Amino acid sequence: MTRTLAKRALGPLLVLAVFFLIGYARASSERLEFAQAIAALSETDRATLGSVPRRGIVNTIWALGSEDAIKKMLRSELDRLPEAEGAARARAFVRFGIIDSNPDGQAAVFFQACVSDPSLCDRARLIAAAERETRARLVEPGRHLPLYLTSGHPQVP
Amino acid sequence: MTRARSFDLVWPYVAAAALGYLLGSLAVPAFAALAGESSSTPLARIGLALREDPHAPLVAWPALEADLRTVRSSLVSPEREVFELLLAVRGLDSGGKSDWNHAEQVCRSLAWPRCDRAALEQLKEQSRP
Repeated sequence: MTRTLAKRALGPLLVLAVFFLIGYARASSERLEFAQAIAALSETDRATLGSVPRRGIVNTIWALGSEDAIKKMLRSELDRLPEAEGAARARAFVRFGIIDSNPDGQAAVFFQACVSDPSLCDRARLIAAAERETRARLVEPGRHLPLYLTSGHPQVP
Repeated sequence: MTRARSFDLVWPYVAAAALGYLLGSLAVPAFAALAGESSSTPLARIGLALREDPHAPLVAWPALEADLRTVRSSLVSPEREVFELLLAVRGLDSGGKSDWNHAEQVCRSLAWPRCDRAALEQLKEQSRP
């Protein structure tokens, strides 16, 4: 009885083992492509790879999102990003300034961008950064430079 | 030999083949986690796929399914829906082919101002973070 059972189980067990190896080999080769591509990146690139999905979400909201969605996203970005990530914080402030309809509010937010990333204290660079963001925005509001940057308002100190 | 008897003989082999293949596929991420592949996390692999040229899908995109599930489960609404929209325009969960209908549906569920095809195509073009 036991011998018969063993004989009947041997075939399926062999099939299971063979298909285990096939499944393993196929999944390994697919993942190998990713592992090789990641290994080929510089150390800096590898370190930033994990933040790419988050940046993709943020940029998608910036491209098509409603004003409310953007404000919510930017607040959460500013809460999440540490002071050390000055350029990313400055980008969030620039986006905030673009959709802010109040010139005084715009001035305050662009000043914050300058504090986070000193290169944006230069007005020409600030305008260039804002222009890049307005080009990436596909719906209103936010497709045009704000009044603060187009008129002769006081410069960012 | 009756049909029932031949079924009795064949089904253990079919079940063993299916189970073996499934276990083999699942063993890869499990072994990788045990080996401590820290630089190749689900988030990093999705990040790599998102950084690739949208017109040049990777052959290995089917391998992303498990990673997509992991990343999705770490997100809360509405970010999960936005991620879903991004995946649909980039075709990350459909073999690199954009799923415009799904993208439009997700976009409309977010009540965003523009969800037309032209806007979604533009989103795809500029979606490399």
